[in-house]
Amino acid sequence: MQSNAALEYDYSVAKLYMWTTVIFGIVGMTIGVLIASQLAFPELNYLFGEYGTFSRLRPMHTNVVIYGFTVSGIMVSFYYSAQRVLKVSLAELPLINLLAKIGFFAYLIAATFMVISLAMGITASKEYAQMEWPLDIAIVIYWVIWGVVMFGLIGARREKSLYISLWYYIACFLGVAMLYLFNNMEVPTYFLSGGLGAWYHSVSMYAGTNDALVQWWWGHNAVAFVFTVPIIAIIYYFLPKESGQAVYSYKLSLLSFWGLMFVYLWAGGHHLLWSTVPDWMQTMGSVFSVVLILPSWGSAINMLLTMKGEWNQLTENPLIKFMVLASTFYMLSTLEGPIQAVKSVNAIAHFTDWIPGHVHDGVLGWVAFMIFAAVMHASTRVFKREIYSKSLLEAQFWIQTTGVVLYFTSMWIAGITQGMMWRAVDEYGNLMYSFIDTVSVLHPYYTIRAIGGLLYLIGMLMFAYNFFMTATAGRKLEQEPQFRSPMA
Amino acid sequence: MFHWLEKNPFLFAVGVFIVIAFAGLIEILPSFTNAARPIKGLKPYTVLQLAGKEVYKKDNCIACHSQLIRPFKSETDRYGKYSLSGEYAYDRPFLWGSKRTGPDLHRVGNYRTPDWHANHMWNPKSVVPASIMPAYKHQFKNIADLETAYAEAVTVKKVFHTPYGNDIQPSKAAFEKYYKTTALPEALKIAKAMKNKDVLAMVQQGKIPEIVALIAYLERLK
Amino acid sequence: MNSFIVKGLALAGVLVIGTLVVIKQMHIDLSDPINMITFLGAIAIAALTFGVGAKYMAQMKSDTASGELAEENWDGIGEYKNELPAGWAYSFLGTMIWAVWYFFWGYPLNAYSEIGEYNQEVKNYNKKFEAIHKNASPEVLKEMGESIFLVQCAPCHGETGDGLSGKAQDFSKRFTKEQVLAVIKNGQHKLNFPLGAMPAGMAQGKDAQAVAKYVANGLKGTAPTAWTTCAGCHGTDGKGNGGTAPSLAGYNLPLVKHVLANGKTGIIGHMPAFPGRFTPVQEKALAAYLGTLKQ
Ligand code: HEC
Ligand code: HEC
Ligand code: HEC
Ligand code: HEM
Ligand code: HEM
Ligand SMILES: [Ca+2]
Ligand SMILES: [Ca+2]
Ligand SMILES: [Cu+2]
Repeated sequence: MQSNAALEYDYSVAKLYMWTTVIFGIVGMTIGVLIASQLAFPELNYLFGEYGTFSRLRPMHTNVVIYGFTVSGIMVSFYYSAQRVLKVSLAELPLINLLAKIGFFAYLIAATFMVISLAMGITASKEYAQMEWPLDIAIVIYWVIWGVVMFGLIGARREKSLYISLWYYIACFLGVAMLYLFNNMEVPTYFLSGGLGAWYHSVSMYAGTNDALVQWWWGHNAVAFVFTVPIIAIIYYFLPKESGQAVYSYKLSLLSFWGLMFVYLWAGGHHLLWSTVPDWMQTMGSVFSVVLILPSWGSAINMLLTMKGEWNQLTENPLIKFMVLASTFYMLSTLEGPIQAVKSVNAIAHFTDWIPGHVHDGVLGWVAFMIFAAVMHASTRVFKREIYSKSLLEAQFWIQTTGVVLYFTSMWIAGITQGMMWRAVDEYGNLMYSFIDTVSVLHPYYTIRAIGGLLYLIGMLMFAYNFFMTATAGRKLEQEPQFRSPMA
Repeated sequence: MFHWLEKNPFLFAVGVFIVIAFAGLIEILPSFTNAARPIKGLKPYTVLQLAGKEVYKKDNCIACHSQLIRPFKSETDRYGKYSLSGEYAYDRPFLWGSKRTGPDLHRVGNYRTPDWHANHMWNPKSVVPASIMPAYKHQFKNIADLETAYAEAVTVKKVFHTPYGNDIQPSKAAFEKYYKTTALPEALKIAKAMKNKDVLAMVQQGKIPEIVALIAYLERLK
Repeated sequence: MNSFIVKGLALAGVLVIGTLVVIKQMHIDLSDPINMITFLGAIAIAALTFGVGAKYMAQMKSDTASGELAEENWDGIGEYKNELPAGWAYSFLGTMIWAVWYFFWGYPLNAYSEIGEYNQEVKNYNKKFEAIHKNASPEVLKEMGESIFLVQCAPCHGETGDGLSGKAQDFSKRFTKEQVLAVIKNGQHKLNFPLGAMPAGMAQGKDAQAVAKYVANGLKGTAPTAWTTCAGCHGTDGKGNGGTAPSLAGYNLPLVKHVLANGKTGIIGHMPAFPGRFTPVQEKALAAYLGTLKQ
């Protein structure tokens, strides 16, 4: 069964995506720190003229970290691990390999135009679906290429049974494809108006409440199929692999997977609670969100139990630290989300900073931590070198953990306070606070968040340096390590 | 239990697809049979207002402002009547937002005025000293893109039968006529109410700055 | 490891207590059910996550991996055929039962409507504050007025009612001379008083100047002769003749009511109307508050 030595895997595409992971990570998080600081110190809005306001930069932040950093990280882990668990090398499939490379350059071009168009203010305005139709088309092409590569590799596999990670990659591919297409149905205005106006402008196929429904069917499941599903794929490969431990329970993997698939799609209504969508759909959103806790926790628990008895690995190996804490943060955000989805709680939480707080538990503590661990683990095999510095990795872990804790504690308090202040009435029944009162009270928390974000960014820069040095100057390895990644 | 499925990637993918597509079928499709109907008396956005909506999208006010008044007493006291589905019938895309760093704007046209907006957009601190909202001075210089807004009106009239009049036609000439006879006078009214000399002068020369379109849009939010 | 659990739970505790301290500082009423449920939800999030997380951390230290391995093996990764953790399975079942309850009883599919709930909320509110509103003393009215003013009017009139350097009416002064002169010259019709419009040109030249000065001065000193014309409508004391014309002397209820109902356009600019936004008590409160702002 085990004949790792026999196959020479082709990591050239994984390598390319490693670089974009690092670059988009730095850019996206730098913008994150800037916009966080702008809310605490509004003078920072005027650094780059009309291009530098909080509002123009915010979608730049979300799009660069999602479509840049996160998608790149997912692709690193896919192009690295899929070959290995399928036991087939891209080098054996020249056509698929070529397609994978074309895919990367299509991605790079699309991402570049995404940044340019967002800077110019060209946007369809739907969250996480801001790109206009020409970019949508590029993205669809890119996605199809990825699908062909994935199913090409699967078709040529030597390992009969699909490993858990691949279940999740397949789901990621299908889910994003379906949802992205539906949500981005839009009519270009140039062609039907006899050539008037901007050629790239379009108008949504759906109006008002319907548009909202489709948008959050997508928006929520963008979380599912970009921030959750492929990241679970990553942890199911990299944690057992790095630790050398067998996955705790097949049954738990199975139930969590199918449970997650079935339940997630119904929960989108929790973004529309107390809105004008029909009541039963809102209630459905709440109900399925709470049911979603367990399929989500299932994967996290499966991973934590995989580490049973391996305390010494946790204390000695920073990569294991990243991944174990990531599971815990995943548990935090998948309990926090469902509770925020309960109608009474959402009456307060919605529209407040508690939501960005919840978001960053997930993205900083779970998504980015997993990506850091995966890229580092993979780079020892891809570059055949030792990780440049263990102590740097260790320091990065603690600095970033402090950053996340500052981020989510400050936003948690800020959000709950603001939400309750909006509702508060005085003893005579009149609103107790003017809107600006509820803004001013947030200043300290915005400042703490900015500091937390800065720490996280510093960690990101340490990571970039460590990665760069590993790739270029790490001690050469004669033999590929079986499990634990060697580090200096 | 499911091992056979995991050895059958094609069936596996089909299975996943069915399981995830299921919810959409039940939740999304039925609501479309009951397409958003406009409330009585709702008029489509004028082209100037549409151009203002584009400014709202471009400068991404949705990052901080919602347009959805929820049915709570605390919200109706602060912003006015709770929002109704039929009020959004011409909103493509919807602009409800998901974060209130600033107040809701769904009915801001009821309780603010063009000159207040002019002061506020030029420098929010001049009217709300503790404001953290950025100033949008560039909107006073940049020219609004009415042609694209007009193209949008033509498109939604054709495709979605949005009830625009005969002055919305797919041709450059029709646009130019509309611009002179309808859009400019509408803009002039706003510009006068803004009490800003430079803006007024621009409109009088036939140029409509973004701020005028934006205020036309904000005034429409009622 | 133990220190890790302690730290984790301490974090949860600090978070919850920190939140409590902050919201108490903002005078939040935790007996409001929505606030209470939210707060309990927050406690549940912190306690469950950090508690359960700590439990599995503890297992890393004390337990050992065991079980029957599946025959498959992917790139060296094995898989145990362990049973589901019981706590997980029962919780899953529990949430499903809760879901059924919520969908059919909590927010019953066929009976619940959020607008119905809103109407109920308003009803309860009215009941709760009925007594206070009916018998509000002048002090209470002033306090009420101030809080309404800060929420609704301050963005234009400024937090102190100073009109933000001429952007809106400055309430420390009923009129400037220019305002009065403008009304005398142009007349005014918007406020919808029983007496209707104020005709243009009720006084000319020197008379107009004198009257304007007198009115802008708060009707102090001896009235100029031309005042008699004005007094015909506004009353000798300028207080508005029992609500048939606006008071020129200060802010009173009829004036505030008419401005709120109709808005006002003058030489400062335009004020939007607030029709139906305030209850009669709130209008009274606003008038009482504006009255205290004068000089
Ligand atoms: C960084 C967040 C932020 C952005 C971006 C932002 N605003 Fe604001 N906005 C605020 C805050 C905070 C307030 C409340 C304080 C104030 O009135 O300035 C506010 C108030 C307002 C108000 C007054 C509403 C009321 O009820 O008093 C309007 C109108 C408004 N903004 C319009 C806009 C428009 C249009 C844009 C985009 C071009 C925009 N805002 C962008 C934060 C923002
Ligand atoms: C025919 C009756 C009548 C006479 C005479 C009259 N007024 Fe008036 N005045 C009114 C009415 C009615 C209004 C309210 C107009 C409106 O609806 O805005 C008014 C409004 C005003 C206002 C504006 C109040 C506000 O809050 O905007 C001023 C100032 C004023 N009058 C001053 C005078 C002076 C000075 C004179 C004498 C030279 C005078 N009025 C004579 C009926 C009269
Ligand atoms: C959008 C801005 C705006 C808002 C909000 C606003 N006002 Fe005004 N208000 C004005 C302006 C401008 C004037 C001056 C009109 C003029 O005389 O030129 C004015 C005038 C008035 C006057 C008449 C003053 C006089 O001496 O005749 C009263 C009374 C008044 N406001 C009360 C209120 C109250 C009470 C509220 C809140 C419920 C409020 N306003 C909200 C802009 C506003
Ligand atoms: C069980 C799983 C989850 C549930 C039920 C859930 C629920 C929620 C709820 C109720 C909101 C707030 C909606 C609102 O009131 O505005 C929300 C927002 C959000 N969540 Fe989650 N969440 C879950 C997991 C996650 C995870 C793991 C991540 C990321 C890694 C995440 C990312 C987000 C994002 C990005 C938003 C913001 C959406 C917006 O822009 O408004 N969620 N989630
Ligand atoms: C240095 C680290 C980061 C900082 C300081 C930061 C800061 C911010 C800020 C200030 C906002 C806007 C919140 C608001 O409107 O009030 C935001 C939004 C967001 N960020 Fe980050 N961010 C960081 C990293 C990331 C990463 C790594 C991701 C994803 C992988 C991410 C995903 C998001 C998302 C999805 C939103 C939108 C949330 C919503 O709409 O509710 N961020 N971020
Ligand atoms: Ca799009
Ligand atoms: Ca959002
Ligand atoms: Cu969601």
